[in-house]
Amino acid sequence: MVTAASTEWSWKKAEPLPEGLDLSVHNVLGRWRRRPGCRRPLEKTTEAALAAAPEMESLRDHDLQQRLLEYRGHFRRGGDAATAFLAPALAAIREAARRTVHLHPFPVQIVGALALHHGYLAEMATGEGKTLTAGLAAVLAGWTQRPVHIVTANDYLVERDATWLEPLYTFAGVRVGHVTGGMAPPDRRRGYAADVTYVTAREVLADFLRDRLLLDTLADPTQRRIRSLVQPVVTQRRLSQLVLRGLHTAIIDEADSLLIDEAVTPLIISRPVPNPRLRDATLQARHLAGLLAPDLHYRVNLRYREIELTPGGEAVVAEACRDLPAVWKGRDRRHELVRQALSARELFLAGRQYIVDQGKIVIVDEGTGRPQPMRTWQQGLHQAIEAKEGVPFTDPSETAARMSFQRFFRLFHRLSGMTGTALEAATEFWQIYGLPVLRIPTHRPCIRTRLPDRFFPTATAKWEAVVEGIRAVHATGRPVLVGTRTVAASERLARFLEAHGLEFRLLNAVHHADEATTIAMAGENRRITIATNMAGRGTDIRLGKGVDALGGLHVIATERHESGRVDRQLMGRAARQGDPGSAQLFASAEDDIVRRYLPQPAQSMVGTAPAPVAGALVARAQAKAQSIAFRQRQQVLRSDTWLEESLAFAPGS
Amino acid sequence: MARPNETFSESWHRVASQRIALSPGVRVRRQTFRGERFYVLEDPLSNQFFRLRPAAYEFIARLRRDRTVDEAWQECLERFPDEAPGQEAALRLLGQLYQANLLHYDRATDTDALFQRYKKRTQRELKSRLTNIMFFRIPLVDPDRFLVWAMPIVGPFLGRLGALIWLAVVGLGLKTVAENWNAVLDQYQGVLAPGNLPFLYLALIALKTLHELGHAFLCRRFGGEVHTLGVLFMIFTPVPYVDVTSSWGFRARWQRVVVGLGGMIVELFVAGIAVFVWANTGPGTVHGVAYNVMFIASVSTLLFNLNPLLRFDGYYILSDLLGIPNLAQLANRQLRHVFEHHLFGVKPAQSPARTGTEATWLFTYGITSGAYRLFVFGGILLAIADRYLLLGIIMLATCAVAWVATPLVNLVRYLGASPKLDRVRPRAIAVVVGLAVVVIAPFAIIPFPNTFTAIGIIQAVDRARVVTETAGLLERVVTDVRQPVRKDDVLLELTNPELDHALDATRAALAEVDARLRQTLTGQIANRQPLEARRAVLADQKARLEQQIADLRVPARIDGVWSAPGIQELVGRWLPRGSPLGLVLNPNRFEFVAVVQQADADRLFRTELASAQIRLHGQTADSLNVEHLRIVPGDSRILPTPILGWLGGGDIPTEKEDREGRRTSEPFFEVRATLPAEGPLKLADGQSGRMRFRLPPQPLLQQGWRRLRQLLQQRYQW
Repeated sequence: MVTAASTEWSWKKAEPLPEGLDLSVHNVLGRWRRRPGCRRPLEKTTEAALAAAPEMESLRDHDLQQRLLEYRGHFRRGGDAATAFLAPALAAIREAARRTVHLHPFPVQIVGALALHHGYLAEMATGEGKTLTAGLAAVLAGWTQRPVHIVTANDYLVERDATWLEPLYTFAGVRVGHVTGGMAPPDRRRGYAADVTYVTAREVLADFLRDRLLLDTLADPTQRRIRSLVQPVVTQRRLSQLVLRGLHTAIIDEADSLLIDEAVTPLIISRPVPNPRLRDATLQARHLAGLLAPDLHYRVNLRYREIELTPGGEAVVAEACRDLPAVWKGRDRRHELVRQALSARELFLAGRQYIVDQGKIVIVDEGTGRPQPMRTWQQGLHQAIEAKEGVPFTDPSETAARMSFQRFFRLFHRLSGMTGTALEAATEFWQIYGLPVLRIPTHRPCIRTRLPDRFFPTATAKWEAVVEGIRAVHATGRPVLVGTRTVAASERLARFLEAHGLEFRLLNAVHHADEATTIAMAGENRRITIATNMAGRGTDIRLGKGVDALGGLHVIATERHESGRVDRQLMGRAARQGDPGSAQLFASAEDDIVRRYLPQPAQSMVGTAPAPVAGALVARAQAKAQSIAFRQRQQVLRSDTWLEESLAFAPGS
Repeated sequence: MARPNETFSESWHRVASQRIALSPGVRVRRQTFRGERFYVLEDPLSNQFFRLRPAAYEFIARLRRDRTVDEAWQECLERFPDEAPGQEAALRLLGQLYQANLLHYDRATDTDALFQRYKKRTQRELKSRLTNIMFFRIPLVDPDRFLVWAMPIVGPFLGRLGALIWLAVVGLGLKTVAENWNAVLDQYQGVLAPGNLPFLYLALIALKTLHELGHAFLCRRFGGEVHTLGVLFMIFTPVPYVDVTSSWGFRARWQRVVVGLGGMIVELFVAGIAVFVWANTGPGTVHGVAYNVMFIASVSTLLFNLNPLLRFDGYYILSDLLGIPNLAQLANRQLRHVFEHHLFGVKPAQSPARTGTEATWLFTYGITSGAYRLFVFGGILLAIADRYLLLGIIMLATCAVAWVATPLVNLVRYLGASPKLDRVRPRAIAVVVGLAVVVIAPFAIIPFPNTFTAIGIIQAVDRARVVTETAGLLERVVTDVRQPVRKDDVLLELTNPELDHALDATRAALAEVDARLRQTLTGQIANRQPLEARRAVLADQKARLEQQIADLRVPARIDGVWSAPGIQELVGRWLPRGSPLGLVLNPNRFEFVAVVQQADADRLFRTELASAQIRLHGQTADSLNVEHLRIVPGDSRILPTPILGWLGGGDIPTEKEDREGRRTSEPFFEVRATLPAEGPLKLADGQSGRMRFRLPPQPLLQQGWRRLRQLLQQRYQW
């Protein structure tokens, strides 16, 4: 069974990024593909499905199941039949969902499922039932028996969703499986063998890379067939070790965080390889660095995080290297090594870029402050820092394969996704992944009150106003959620609130013990919660008793984030699913985004100009930040593509 | 992408364990440029070339099927710690070799990728062809087999023997040309005459075909293959071309240079033969064709093909002689480097030049070729715009976009966003703005003398035409020509016997009437009245005749100098009444009559004319300043003298229908200035010259803009 499928093991060859004039045409096409009118046909189909609902309701379980199996046959054959039966099939699945998991999908969820089915990136507000929506679409996709991967944020969600919707899948004649971090290859293989597999992006990408390494020359389908005929036993043995069935359909939850925010983070399959040469060189470099004094022998450029050797320093190094092995004879080579040792000494500080934990160097993410035990720095630097801290050398890892999510998700034949916030990055979704964004309306109208944005000349003035704002809302008994951009800001606000004698919960990279519960409780009466923007994503804030009568949750954004999507996610925490709620933005001329992305004269205007002008300026800064980030991701993809094309003689990635 | 000289690369794992090598068919040749070694990889199947530096070659040469890329790289690093390419550089190198299909690897070729690459390459070629529309190429046939077949016949001449013959023919040709230099110059005037153009073009095609065959045969002679012969549409004019890129693989530089010179060698030889034909034939078709061939094969060859500033043979020869391949690209990069490094202060910058001399060469070449190209393309553009109005406008617009707008946008983008300038952006912007100011300011702010000239002639203020008042036979010239005369001095004497007879008859009739009048005194008083009337008539007639006879002695009407070119030839000839015979001019008072064309009229009226300067043709050393200019109001269309018009060799356009050449095609204005009697210039009536009007100074930019507008108005009625 598994091996039979393995002969079909394949993925899409990613299309090259359009450039120049093609790009303009492609962009225009993208605008056309994501015009709001695209929703019309989906809504028509939904109406047809709803019209078929009474008929489905009247069927007995057995008959309904028969009906579903019949549709499965049509979908497996594909073509026009599948299109023709789309509406009744959805009606049947909807009825099945009602009977098995006791949820009756709303019309908007059916529209969402159709959007996923047609390869859109569906923008659905949080709390609109994305899991079920994905489930409906996955049944349709699973019927084709091509590999379907539902990609969610973490292992917990993978397990929860798969278990929760399993009755629906089984009822509809679809085998469902899931793969989580700790699983052994046979379990993984079983998970992937199912029609629909719940999995995290990390796991599926890692499995894909491992499979590709295993396939090696067999990655080419023609080769595979020839080899299966020529050396059936050997080839079969190799193919039987594969865990995936190939890549075909993916439904991505929280698509924006995966496809944009984490898009260029590479996943690396590696194994440690002892490298005495590197070890010796690093130690030697550290010794050499010890001979050099700042300013006299080298200069440190803090802004660009670089070390520059002075002619004097170069002379010292040259003198010291006279009796060293060949690697040290080359001028550029030895300077590179010495500079690295100096960077380790001058630019990487314990407690800031890394911490020493149980005799190991652990990298700290400077943005979030979270320790990242899995990460290492590039070859040599990590060892240089280890040499500096005097901890035992870890063997440099030898990369076997690496790939970014950006490149990985371009390999699916059918890609679709869901997220709360997609419109801001619609261009990028289209250009890179060919995903048109489609906005799905909320089930109940949103009644969030957006209070006017407020701008201040200094950060201090802003924080005072924020505290004032919190007190005012707190006095009415409503819960308040304050979003901060950085850990430092959240701590600063915490001190302010303490000084004012207000009780609050703090949630950031340092205090993240009961992340989910803290967020879930944030809707309780009189509750004040401070959270960094990314904290607790994916968890609902349900309102406490009587809170909706008071006016619901109030959200305060204390700064604009570099990405508009994050702002919207934060604001979107208030007034969910038809609840009441309000949100307000506070910004100052000293905010990071203003300082980094606006020219000097415009910066001061943020604090002094009337609100609409200040708002426009900050929006401009945000747009600039987003476009710079987009361009960087494009650049990464371009150079990845160049490598891919130019090194096609070497398989893998 | 990471910096290429970095030792370690994050993508190294992709190739580290591969076992690859150069394709077995790849030929490797060693070349030396400026004392530096290079290795040229040549794929004989696709005729593609790949040039490697020794360090890179050491790495590539170590690639073998029995060891991994990483092992080869390690070995390279051990042996050449400094020069060996870093992982990043090695990766790029392998990528490029793979893209060029020069690598051999032990897995099935990704045919899909192969086709993709092929498609990409053809697309790129098409694109470069379309963007290079001025030099559009269409490959036609593969001449290699023909060359091989013809080599036994042609081959013997491609050597010492050929060189001797060539020297003899070209030498004798030069000698013949020197001997007939005047004839050569005379006929030169007619080369571009319309009737000559078809011959010129045919001769051009034939010659250029020979030219290309010259390249091809020489290339083949040294062992290079020649696979493309086609048509190149040079500025929409089809001429042949051959592809002799295989000569780049020749090891000896002189061979490459000779192949590059091949075309010119043939052309000059043909020119030499054409000289003999031309010198030994009388006027006729053969003579004309020979002259055309002679002209194209020498002048055009030396002007275009040998000129290294254009991308023809001369360029490649120069690039080879200097030992700088891709001279033009490198020159541009060097210019960029000079800007970035020396002016903007970008720190880690590497000059594409390897030595100081090379840097100088590149810099000089970059500047001169840029300026030259601007000049040539501007000229071509104007020429085309002149002929084909619509095409001209389209091309002007395209060129404005391609050569002005795009570079400007790119410059702004580069200054604003190039990551290279991250640290020096303010300085870079300051330098560019500063340079722009330094370059533009003199033109935009500093006033330059603003002048325009108009053609005109000198006329005497007091002038009287000498005209016969009465018809008669020119008897003699009483006063010699060019003599000063006073008013009423007799200049010429005419005789008219008829008048004498008529006078005699009239006198006789008068006498008769008088006699009859006397008779009436004796009676018949009634007849008196008609007789008196008749007498009055006759008296009148007599007076008139006497006057006419007096007029036969033509006097000077004014004081002055009497001039009548060719008057002596008229002696003894019958001159009808009103024949112009000459002029009496007052040599003391002259004025200059300038004809100002409409294009300049606006300036003529807008500004106050302070003064003007007059220079006469033939006396250009001296000039005359005049004041008190009088503009004759109202525009006129009849020139004061035909010599100002096209027909008379002047620069005022005249109408074709007008045989006399005085009627202008557009109206003009007359400006008159009285000339002082004493001055550095020798004044003579009818002398032509130019009047230079001096207007208040104006910045050059303003002046140029006005000229451009005038040009457009004049040519396209804008």
